[in-house]
Amino acid sequence: MPSAEDIKQRIEAAIPGAQAEVDDYTGGGDHFRATVTAASFEGCSRIEQHRLVYEIFGGEIGGPIHALSLKTQTPSTIETH
Amino acid sequence: MSASQPDPLPMLSGQPNAAPAPASESNPIRDAIAEAIAEHRVILFMKGSPEAPGCGFSARTVAALQALDTPFAAVDVLPDARIRQELSAISNWPTIPQLFVDGELIGGCDIVTEMYETGELAQVLS
Repeated sequence: MPSAEDIKQRIEAAIPGAQAEVDDYTGGGDHFRATVTAASFEGCSRIEQHRLVYEIFGGEIGGPIHALSLKTQTPSTIETH
Repeated sequence: MSASQPDPLPMLSGQPNAAPAPASESNPIRDAIAEAIAEHRVILFMKGSPEAPGCGFSARTVAALQALDTPFAAVDVLPDARIRQELSAISNWPTIPQLFVDGELIGGCDIVTEMYETGELAQVLS
């Protein structure tokens, strides 16, 4: 069962320059919430940004990882939030 | 509201099993999903129904649509695992719910909620 730290490391390893904050909000190792900030998201729609993250986990989403709730942003949009 | 709309996937409900599809590339479930997306301006694939959502994420997405008084068609993916499988194959999106507007995937619960909060959802639906 993945931990929040595993998820964080996999996202950061797969997306160059990404920073991820991940928490396991039920404590059960299958519902995670991640905020991912990456300059490489620049120019991608929200859908595309989320797809880039989902793709890292492939079939694990909906399987061992029941839910991965995402918020994606670029370093340049961060200030506006 | 959604309950007054016809079942978007009638071929999956009520019909006794027709003759099995020929072992070709015909994929009636995928075709029915694609047709439902094309025929309904706003369509939500969810777990459960708008009246009784089967998952918190589906519930939150329904709540955003209802808060904007948007009529929408809803498809419950739970009765048949193939619906979800074929839907994800069409949309290239792994999770449920999935909201489509004008034939385009808008997103799942996170994106719909975020767009609701920023006002973008109201724009897309107007």
